[in-house]
Amino acid sequence: MTLEERLIAYVDGELAAPDRAAFEAELAADPTLADKVAGHRRLAARISSAYAPVLGEPAPPQLVAIASAANDRGAGRRLPRWAAMAAGLVIGVVAGRALWPEPGPLAVRGGELIARGGLDQALTSRLAADGGALRVGLTFKARDGRYCRTFRSAEDRLAGLACRHDGRWVALATAAWAPAPSPDYRTAASGDPPAVLAAVDAAIAGETLDPAAERAARDRGWKP
Amino acid sequence: MDGLEREIVELLPRLRRLARALARAPADADDLVQVTVERALVRRGQWRPGTRLDSWMFRIMKNAWIDESRARTRRGALFAPEAAGEAVGDDGAAAMAARLAAREVETAMARLPQDQRIAVALVLVDGLSYQEAAEVLEIPAGTLTSRLVRGRAALLADLGEAAP
Repeated sequence: MTLEERLIAYVDGELAAPDRAAFEAELAADPTLADKVAGHRRLAARISSAYAPVLGEPAPPQLVAIASAANDRGAGRRLPRWAAMAAGLVIGVVAGRALWPEPGPLAVRGGELIARGGLDQALTSRLAADGGALRVGLTFKARDGRYCRTFRSAEDRLAGLACRHDGRWVALATAAWAPAPSPDYRTAASGDPPAVLAAVDAAIAGETLDPAAERAARDRGWKP
Repeated sequence: MDGLEREIVELLPRLRRLARALARAPADADDLVQVTVERALVRRGQWRPGTRLDSWMFRIMKNAWIDESRARTRRGALFAPEAAGEAVGDDGAAAMAARLAAREVETAMARLPQDQRIAVALVLVDGLSYQEAAEVLEIPAGTLTSRLVRGRAALLADLGEAAP
Protein backbone atom coordinates (compact mmCIF):
# COMPACT_ATOMS: atom_id res chain seq x y z
CA MET A 1 0.00 0.00 0.00
CA THR A 2 1.13 3.53 -0.66
CA LEU A 3 1.55 5.92 2.23
CA GLU A 4 -1.68 7.70 1.29
CA GLU A 5 -3.56 4.42 1.26
CA ARG A 6 -2.20 3.47 4.67
CA LEU A 7 -3.04 6.93 5.96
CA ILE A 8 -6.72 6.83 5.04
CA ALA A 9 -7.00 3.19 6.11
CA TYR A 10 -5.66 4.27 9.48
CA VAL A 11 -8.15 7.14 9.73
CA ASP A 12 -11.00 4.79 8.73
CA GLY A 13 -9.99 2.14 11.26
CA GLU A 14 -9.15 -0.31 8.47
CA LEU A 15 -5.54 -1.10 9.42
CA ALA A 16 -5.01 -4.43 11.16
CA ALA A 17 -3.22 -4.32 14.50
CA PRO A 18 0.41 -4.84 13.37
CA ASP A 19 0.09 -2.34 10.53
CA ARG A 20 -1.64 0.10 12.84
CA ALA A 21 1.15 -0.10 15.41
CA ALA A 22 3.75 0.45 12.69
CA PHE A 23 1.85 3.44 11.33
CA GLU A 24 1.45 4.95 14.79
CA ALA A 25 5.20 4.69 15.30
CA GLU A 26 5.76 6.62 12.07
CA LEU A 27 3.14 9.11 13.15
CA ALA A 28 4.86 9.78 16.47
CA ALA A 29 8.12 10.51 14.65
CA ASP A 30 6.71 12.66 11.87
CA PRO A 31 4.79 15.86 12.68
CA THR A 32 3.96 16.41 8.99
CA LEU A 33 2.30 13.02 8.83
CA ALA A 34 0.43 13.80 12.05
CA ASP A 35 -0.89 17.00 10.46
CA LYS A 36 -2.08 15.05 7.47
CA VAL A 37 -3.90 12.57 9.67
CA ALA A 38 -5.56 15.42 11.53
CA GLY A 39 -6.64 16.99 8.22
CA HIS A 40 -8.13 13.70 7.06
CA ARG A 41 -9.96 13.26 10.35
CA ARG A 42 -11.50 16.72 10.03
CA LEU A 43 -12.50 15.98 6.45
CA ALA A 44 -14.16 12.68 7.42
CA ALA A 45 -16.09 14.36 10.24
CA ARG A 46 -17.15 17.18 7.95
CA ILE A 47 -18.43 14.91 5.18
CA SER A 48 -20.29 12.72 7.63
CA SER A 49 -21.93 15.58 9.51
CA ALA A 50 -22.96 17.36 6.29
CA TYR A 51 -25.34 14.53 5.42
CA ALA A 52 -26.31 13.39 8.93
CA PRO A 53 -29.43 15.64 9.12
CA VAL A 54 -31.02 13.69 6.25
CA LEU A 55 -31.49 10.75 8.64
CA GLY A 56 -33.80 12.87 10.80
CA GLU A 57 -35.94 14.18 7.96
CA PRO A 58 -39.34 12.59 7.48
CA ALA A 59 -39.25 10.26 4.50
CA PRO A 60 -41.56 11.62 1.79
CA PRO A 61 -44.95 9.93 2.32
CA GLN A 62 -44.89 8.90 -1.33
CA LEU A 63 -41.84 6.71 -0.75
CA VAL A 64 -43.35 5.10 2.32
CA ALA A 65 -46.59 4.51 0.41
CA ILE A 66 -44.83 2.61 -2.37
CA ALA A 67 -43.42 0.07 0.06
CA SER A 68 -46.45 -0.01 2.36
CA ALA A 69 -48.94 -0.58 -0.45
CA ALA A 70 -46.93 -3.52 -1.74
CA ASN A 71 -46.62 -4.84 1.79
CA ASP A 72 -50.34 -4.96 2.36
CA ARG A 73 -50.97 -6.81 -0.84
CA GLY A 74 -48.74 -9.56 0.32
CA ALA A 75 -49.87 -9.62 3.93
CA GLY A 76 -53.55 -9.88 3.15
CA ARG A 77 -53.51 -12.71 0.65
CA ARG A 78 -50.64 -14.99 -0.06
CA LEU A 79 -49.97 -14.12 -3.62
CA PRO A 80 -47.90 -16.31 -5.88
CA ARG A 81 -44.51 -15.05 -6.93
CA TRP A 82 -45.69 -14.02 -10.39
CA ALA A 83 -48.38 -11.85 -8.82
CA ALA A 84 -45.86 -10.18 -6.53
CA MET A 85 -43.69 -9.45 -9.54
CA ALA A 86 -46.67 -8.13 -11.45
CA ALA A 87 -47.46 -5.91 -8.47
CA GLY A 88 -43.91 -4.63 -8.57
CA LEU A 89 -44.28 -3.83 -12.24
CA VAL A 90 -47.52 -2.00 -11.58
CA ILE A 91 -45.78 -0.03 -8.87
CA GLY A 92 -43.10 0.88 -11.35
CA VAL A 93 -45.70 2.29 -13.67
CA VAL A 94 -48.01 4.13 -11.32
CA ALA A 95 -45.70 4.88 -8.41
CA GLY A 96 -46.53 8.01 -6.53
CA ARG A 97 -49.75 8.69 -8.30
CA ALA A 98 -52.71 6.45 -8.11
CA LEU A 99 -52.46 3.24 -6.23
CA TRP A 100 -55.13 0.76 -5.55
CA PRO A 101 -57.96 0.41 -3.08
CA GLU A 102 -56.16 -2.20 -1.02
CA PRO A 103 -56.03 -2.46 2.75
CA GLY A 104 -53.24 -0.47 4.36
CA PRO A 105 -52.72 2.39 6.78
CA LEU A 106 -52.31 5.05 4.12
CA ALA A 107 -53.56 5.60 0.60
CA VAL A 108 -52.70 8.23 -1.97
CA ARG A 109 -55.72 10.24 -3.06
CA GLY A 110 -55.49 13.33 -5.20
CA GLY A 111 -51.86 13.83 -4.31
CA GLU A 112 -52.49 13.50 -0.59
CA LEU A 113 -51.75 10.65 1.73
CA ILE A 114 -54.96 9.67 3.51
CA ALA A 115 -55.31 7.51 6.63
CA ARG A 116 -57.60 4.58 6.06
CA GLY A 117 -58.88 1.45 7.76
CA GLY A 118 -57.65 0.91 11.28
CA LEU A 119 -55.50 4.03 11.26
CA ASP A 120 -58.43 6.22 10.21
CA GLN A 121 -60.57 4.68 12.96
CA ALA A 122 -57.88 5.10 15.58
CA LEU A 123 -57.27 8.74 14.69
CA THR A 124 -61.02 9.42 14.74
CA SER A 125 -61.99 7.61 17.90
CA ARG A 126 -59.00 6.74 20.06
CA LEU A 127 -57.62 8.81 22.91
CA ALA A 128 -53.96 9.02 23.86
CA ALA A 129 -54.75 7.21 27.11
CA ASP A 130 -56.17 4.21 25.26
CA GLY A 131 -52.77 2.80 24.28
CA GLY A 132 -52.68 -0.32 22.16
CA ALA A 133 -50.61 -1.42 19.19
CA LEU A 134 -51.87 1.55 17.21
CA ARG A 135 -51.48 4.54 19.49
CA VAL A 136 -52.40 8.13 19.15
CA GLY A 137 -49.85 10.40 20.80
CA LEU A 138 -50.19 14.17 20.71
CA THR A 139 -53.31 16.04 19.70
CA PHE A 140 -53.23 19.74 18.89
CA LYS A 141 -54.69 22.50 16.78
CA ALA A 142 -52.72 23.57 13.73
CA ARG A 143 -52.30 27.20 12.76
CA ASP A 144 -55.15 26.88 10.28
CA GLY A 145 -57.49 25.62 13.02
CA ARG A 146 -57.52 21.98 12.00
CA TYR A 147 -56.99 19.25 14.54
CA CYS A 148 -53.84 17.20 14.12
CA ARG A 149 -52.71 14.02 15.85
CA THR A 150 -49.53 11.97 15.92
CA PHE A 151 -49.74 8.20 15.63
CA ARG A 152 -47.51 5.17 16.01
CA SER A 153 -48.38 1.81 14.57
CA ALA A 154 -46.37 -1.14 15.87
CA GLU A 155 -47.78 -3.43 13.19
CA ASP A 156 -46.94 -1.09 10.32
CA ARG A 157 -43.73 0.09 11.99
CA LEU A 158 -44.83 3.53 11.04
CA ALA A 159 -45.20 6.80 12.90
CA GLY A 160 -46.62 10.01 11.59
CA LEU A 161 -48.62 13.18 11.89
CA ALA A 162 -52.08 13.51 10.36
CA CYS A 163 -54.49 16.46 10.29
CA ARG A 164 -58.26 16.45 9.89
CA HIS A 165 -59.44 17.87 6.59
CA ASP A 166 -62.82 17.42 4.92
CA GLY A 167 -63.68 14.43 7.05
CA ARG A 168 -60.39 12.66 6.40
CA TRP A 169 -57.03 12.41 8.10
CA VAL A 170 -54.30 13.70 5.82
CA ALA A 171 -50.76 12.58 6.69
CA LEU A 172 -48.32 15.51 6.77
CA ALA A 173 -45.34 13.43 7.80
CA THR A 174 -44.45 9.80 8.28
CA ALA A 175 -41.35 8.09 9.57
CA ALA A 176 -40.19 4.54 10.06
CA TRP A 177 -40.73 3.60 13.68
CA ALA A 178 -39.94 0.47 15.66
CA PRO A 179 -41.42 -0.17 19.08
CA ALA A 180 -38.24 -1.82 20.40
CA PRO A 181 -34.92 -0.15 21.24
CA SER A 182 -33.02 0.08 18.01
CA PRO A 183 -29.64 1.19 16.71
CA ASP A 184 -28.50 4.50 15.32
CA TYR A 185 -30.54 5.35 12.28
CA ARG A 186 -33.82 4.06 13.58
CA THR A 187 -35.94 6.23 15.78
CA ALA A 188 -36.16 6.19 19.52
CA ALA A 189 -38.17 3.51 21.22
CA SER A 190 -40.47 5.76 23.20
CA GLY A 191 -42.46 8.72 22.01
CA ASP A 192 -42.76 10.05 18.51
CA PRO A 193 -39.74 10.03 16.21
CA PRO A 194 -37.81 13.32 15.86
CA ALA A 195 -38.98 13.67 12.25
CA VAL A 196 -42.61 13.59 13.37
CA LEU A 197 -41.96 15.97 16.25
CA ALA A 198 -40.33 18.38 13.81
CA ALA A 199 -43.51 18.27 11.72
CA VAL A 200 -45.54 18.95 14.88
CA ASP A 201 -43.37 21.95 15.67
CA ALA A 202 -43.93 23.28 12.17
CA ALA A 203 -47.72 22.92 12.31
CA ILE A 204 -48.76 23.56 15.89
CA ALA A 205 -50.51 26.67 17.14
CA GLY A 206 -50.19 27.02 20.90
CA GLU A 207 -50.01 23.92 23.07
CA THR A 208 -51.04 20.30 22.75
CA LEU A 209 -54.51 19.43 24.02
CA ASP A 210 -54.87 18.04 27.52
CA PRO A 211 -56.89 14.81 27.95
CA ALA A 212 -60.15 16.65 28.65
CA ALA A 213 -59.79 18.87 25.59
CA GLU A 214 -58.77 15.88 23.49
CA ARG A 215 -61.92 14.00 24.51
CA ALA A 216 -64.11 17.05 23.89
CA ALA A 217 -62.64 17.56 20.40
CA ARG A 218 -63.23 13.93 19.55
CA ASP A 219 -66.80 14.07 20.81
CA ARG A 220 -67.43 17.06 18.53
CA GLY A 221 -66.20 15.01 15.57
CA TRP A 222 -62.97 16.99 15.20
CA LYS A 223 -64.83 20.01 13.84
CA PRO A 224 -62.53 23.06 13.99
CA MET B 1 -44.78 -13.21 3.41
CA ASP B 2 -41.35 -11.90 4.19
CA GLY B 3 -41.01 -8.46 5.72
CA LEU B 4 -39.08 -7.05 2.81
CA GLU B 5 -41.20 -3.95 2.40
CA ARG B 6 -41.03 -3.15 6.09
CA GLU B 7 -37.28 -3.49 6.06
CA ILE B 8 -37.18 -1.20 3.06
CA VAL B 9 -39.22 1.40 4.93
CA GLU B 10 -36.75 1.16 7.81
CA LEU B 11 -33.89 1.57 5.39
CA LEU B 12 -35.36 4.70 3.78
CA PRO B 13 -33.41 7.19 5.94
CA ARG B 14 -30.09 5.64 4.94
CA LEU B 15 -31.13 5.31 1.31
CA ARG B 16 -32.09 8.97 1.26
CA ARG B 17 -28.83 10.02 2.89
CA LEU B 18 -26.75 8.07 0.40
CA ALA B 19 -28.80 9.42 -2.49
CA ARG B 20 -28.21 12.98 -1.29
CA ALA B 21 -24.47 12.37 -1.32
CA LEU B 22 -24.76 11.13 -4.91
CA ALA B 23 -27.37 13.32 -6.55
CA ARG B 24 -27.09 16.49 -4.49
CA ALA B 25 -30.38 18.17 -5.42
CA PRO B 26 -32.93 16.83 -2.90
CA ALA B 27 -35.57 16.25 -5.59
CA ASP B 28 -33.12 14.26 -7.72
CA ALA B 29 -32.06 12.31 -4.64
CA ASP B 30 -35.61 11.31 -3.74
CA ASP B 31 -36.27 10.36 -7.36
CA LEU B 32 -33.23 8.11 -7.12
CA VAL B 33 -34.54 6.54 -3.90
CA GLN B 34 -37.91 5.94 -5.53
CA VAL B 35 -36.36 4.22 -8.55
CA THR B 36 -34.25 2.13 -6.18
CA VAL B 37 -37.26 1.01 -4.14
CA GLU B 38 -39.26 0.22 -7.26
CA ARG B 39 -36.45 -1.84 -8.74
CA ALA B 40 -35.94 -3.68 -5.46
CA LEU B 41 -39.62 -4.62 -5.33
CA VAL B 42 -39.65 -5.78 -8.93
CA ARG B 43 -36.53 -7.87 -8.31
CA ARG B 44 -37.55 -9.09 -4.88
CA GLY B 45 -36.92 -12.68 -5.97
CA GLN B 46 -33.22 -11.90 -6.25
CA TRP B 47 -32.86 -10.92 -2.61
CA ARG B 48 -32.10 -13.77 -0.24
CA PRO B 49 -33.56 -13.21 3.23
CA GLY B 50 -30.82 -13.33 5.82
CA THR B 51 -28.37 -11.46 3.61
CA ARG B 52 -27.70 -7.76 3.90
CA LEU B 53 -30.60 -5.77 2.51
CA ASP B 54 -28.62 -2.52 2.72
CA SER B 55 -25.80 -3.84 0.53
CA TRP B 56 -28.28 -5.18 -2.01
CA MET B 57 -30.25 -1.95 -2.22
CA PHE B 58 -27.13 0.24 -2.27
CA ARG B 59 -25.99 -1.78 -5.28
CA ILE B 60 -29.36 -1.23 -6.96
CA MET B 61 -29.06 2.48 -6.19
CA LYS B 62 -25.55 2.63 -7.64
CA ASN B 63 -26.74 1.05 -10.89
CA ALA B 64 -29.83 3.26 -11.04
CA TRP B 65 -27.69 6.33 -10.47
CA ILE B 66 -25.26 5.40 -13.23
CA ASP B 67 -28.14 4.56 -15.62
CA GLU B 68 -29.83 7.85 -14.87
CA SER B 69 -26.62 9.85 -15.26
CA ARG B 70 -25.98 8.26 -18.66
CA ALA B 71 -29.54 8.95 -19.74
CA ARG B 72 -29.20 12.58 -18.72
CA THR B 73 -25.95 12.90 -20.60
CA ARG B 74 -27.60 11.46 -23.72
CA ARG B 75 -30.51 13.85 -23.41
CA GLY B 76 -28.23 16.74 -22.57
CA ALA B 77 -30.57 17.41 -19.67
CA LEU B 78 -29.60 19.62 -16.80
CA PHE B 79 -29.80 18.48 -13.25
CA ALA B 80 -32.47 20.17 -11.19
CA PRO B 81 -31.30 23.71 -10.54
CA GLU B 82 -29.86 24.46 -7.17
CA ALA B 83 -32.17 26.56 -5.08
CA ALA B 84 -29.60 29.07 -3.94
CA GLY B 85 -30.33 30.49 -0.54
CA GLU B 86 -33.22 28.11 -0.03
CA ALA B 87 -34.67 27.47 3.36
CA VAL B 88 -32.37 29.60 5.42
CA GLY B 89 -35.54 31.23 6.79
CA ASP B 90 -35.50 32.05 10.46
CA ASP B 91 -32.86 29.50 11.40
CA GLY B 92 -30.51 30.56 14.12
CA ALA B 93 -27.01 31.70 13.20
CA ALA B 94 -25.51 28.36 14.25
CA ALA B 95 -27.98 26.40 12.14
CA MET B 96 -27.29 28.63 9.18
CA ALA B 97 -23.53 28.20 9.57
CA ALA B 98 -23.97 24.43 9.69
CA ARG B 99 -26.13 24.60 6.59
CA LEU B 100 -23.54 26.66 4.73
CA ALA B 101 -20.77 24.25 5.73
CA ALA B 102 -22.91 21.37 4.46
CA ARG B 103 -23.48 23.16 1.15
CA GLU B 104 -19.73 23.51 0.68
CA VAL B 105 -19.38 19.78 1.20
CA GLU B 106 -22.22 19.09 -1.25
CA THR B 107 -20.60 21.29 -3.87
CA ALA B 108 -17.22 19.61 -3.42
CA MET B 109 -18.81 16.14 -3.59
CA ALA B 110 -20.64 17.07 -6.78
CA ARG B 111 -17.32 17.90 -8.42
CA LEU B 112 -15.92 14.42 -7.84
CA PRO B 113 -16.03 11.89 -10.66
CA GLN B 114 -18.83 9.39 -10.12
CA ASP B 115 -16.65 6.44 -9.15
CA GLN B 116 -14.85 8.48 -6.48
CA ARG B 117 -18.04 10.12 -5.25
CA ILE B 118 -19.83 6.86 -4.58
CA ALA B 119 -16.77 5.34 -2.89
CA VAL B 120 -16.53 8.34 -0.56
CA ALA B 121 -20.31 8.30 0.02
CA LEU B 122 -20.39 4.63 1.03
CA VAL B 123 -17.41 4.87 3.40
CA LEU B 124 -17.55 8.40 4.83
CA VAL B 125 -21.27 9.14 4.63
CA ASP B 126 -22.81 5.74 5.31
CA GLY B 127 -19.86 4.33 7.25
CA LEU B 128 -19.48 1.01 5.48
CA SER B 129 -16.23 -0.92 5.86
CA TYR B 130 -13.91 -1.13 2.87
CA GLN B 131 -14.94 -4.72 2.26
CA GLU B 132 -18.65 -3.89 2.40
CA ALA B 133 -18.22 -0.90 0.09
CA ALA B 134 -16.16 -2.93 -2.38
CA GLU B 135 -18.92 -5.56 -2.46
CA VAL B 136 -21.60 -2.95 -3.11
CA LEU B 137 -19.55 -1.54 -5.96
CA GLU B 138 -18.48 -4.96 -7.22
CA ILE B 139 -14.84 -3.90 -7.41
CA PRO B 140 -11.63 -5.22 -5.80
CA ALA B 141 -10.65 -3.73 -2.45
CA GLY B 142 -7.52 -2.18 -3.97
CA THR B 143 -9.61 -0.32 -6.54
CA LEU B 144 -11.86 1.00 -3.82
CA THR B 145 -8.87 2.20 -1.80
CA SER B 146 -7.34 4.08 -4.72
CA ARG B 147 -10.70 5.76 -5.47
CA LEU B 148 -10.95 6.78 -1.82
CA VAL B 149 -7.44 8.23 -1.92
CA ARG B 150 -8.09 10.25 -5.06
CA GLY B 151 -11.54 11.38 -3.96
CA ARG B 152 -10.32 12.51 -0.58
CA ALA B 153 -7.34 14.34 -2.03
CA ALA B 154 -9.71 16.31 -4.25
CA LEU B 155 -12.04 17.06 -1.33
CA LEU B 156 -9.15 18.17 0.85
CA ALA B 157 -7.96 20.55 -1.84
CA ASP B 158 -11.46 21.83 -2.48
CA LEU B 159 -12.49 22.28 1.15
CA GLY B 160 -9.16 23.61 2.36
CA GLU B 161 -8.69 21.02 5.08
CA ALA B 162 -5.15 20.20 3.99
CA ALA B 163 -3.51 22.69 6.32
CA PRO B 164 -4.11 22.40 10.06
